[in-house]
Amino acid sequence: MIDLYVYFLTLVMVSMVANTALSIYGIFFRPSMIKKIIALTILGDTANTFAIIIGYKRWVNPETPVTTPVLLNYTNINKTYIEEFAKMRAVDPLPQALVLTAIVIGLAVNLYLVFLTLQTYRLYGTTDVREIRRLRG
Amino acid sequence: MNRDVIGLIVLLALIIGFSLLLSIAGKYYIPNPESRKPTEIFGGNNQLAYLYLKYTYYPNDTSRTVLSPEAVTAIVWDFRGLDTLFETTVFYLAIIGALALGRGLIKIEKPVGEHGLSIIVKTVTRLTSVLIVTVAASIALHGHLTPGGGFQGGSAAAVAPLLILIIFSIYYFLEKGISKTLMLIIRSIGLIVIGLVAISCFIIGVIQGSEAFVFQNQRKIVGVYGEHSIEVSLPSHIAGELISGTLWFFNIAEFFAVMAGFTIVFMLLFVPEKAFREGGGK
Repeated sequence: MIDLYVYFLTLVMVSMVANTALSIYGIFFRPSMIKKIIALTILGDTANTFAIIIGYKRWVNPETPVTTPVLLNYTNINKTYIEEFAKMRAVDPLPQALVLTAIVIGLAVNLYLVFLTLQTYRLYGTTDVREIRRLRG
Repeated sequence: MNRDVIGLIVLLALIIGFSLLLSIAGKYYIPNPESRKPTEIFGGNNQLAYLYLKYTYYPNDTSRTVLSPEAVTAIVWDFRGLDTLFETTVFYLAIIGALALGRGLIKIEKPVGEHGLSIIVKTVTRLTSVLIVTVAASIALHGHLTPGGGFQGGSAAAVAPLLILIIFSIYYFLEKGISKTLMLIIRSIGLIVIGLVAISCFIIGVIQGSEAFVFQNQRKIVGVYGEHSIEVSLPSHIAGELISGTLWFFNIAEFFAVMAGFTIVFMLLFVPEKAFREGGGK
């Protein structure tokens, strides 16, 4: 009997490893700067997905239904509710916090790179790194 | 030669990655429910995720909690606040780099005639951009209560200027007085507020003559046995509403900083080619 969770997670992990290798190939081998940037975004998103999967946690009891892992009802709160929430229901919040900032910073850096490429195209008329290298400028 | 080496490295990474997957498949992808079982070191309950989740809203022990029901925001702006402060600095540097590349580009004259897309698209954009900014403000203002915060709200709000730039053209922005300088001022105000809120407890401590930390939110107990108490804290409620001390101010300031920063780069990207050939590039 194959475990479906493990099957699908294996699929996800295999595709993410393939993604990483393909994006590294794209960054190093494609001569166009636009394609390098696309490969870089794929690499960054794959790294973020890895971090999110590390924070994921298997549901405690497979028989009971999954409840919302959000701290609801915080006005009338007691100690046992919070401890049960922290120990049983919630996923690890630290990777999510890191990925959250990484996405926004990555967007800013990508915009900078896109603008750099645009300026290069405006000045030299090409985005091919081999030709830009030949210009020595 | 170099390309061959890199190709070999890529192939090796692929093979090693797949073999790692094969060897650990079905065992270690998903942390099992026991991953947060307390160990005996330091008397139990020492798992990092457990501590973060427990003390994010824990009114019983006010010396350790952030008093925010949203754990991600609590980590981003309190538990690991210095990380986020310097990530904001990286964001700032990326925007500054784009600005330095595009200096002198924005001085363009409006040519005569109608610009942008058709009237249908313009009307729809007029309606939806208001909605987008409203949702973004809601995400940012409730960042300490529900999933969301300054980063997410700012990124969502930056979609509205992007839509307007595409559909109404950049001349519409210049007509309305939304210039690069205005966005720079808004972004600088946001960053200054973030800096001031980060040292607010420290300033209060200096004025009162008591001890306080930089990047402090609620009162703290230091020392191994909690023998030393630092009582400086920002109010967690204003008029009965939960604002979680510094988190609310951080979220609002970050919202404006991120939104204005993205708007600057979008405006730079949408400078027409003709204006560049005539004005800049000298």
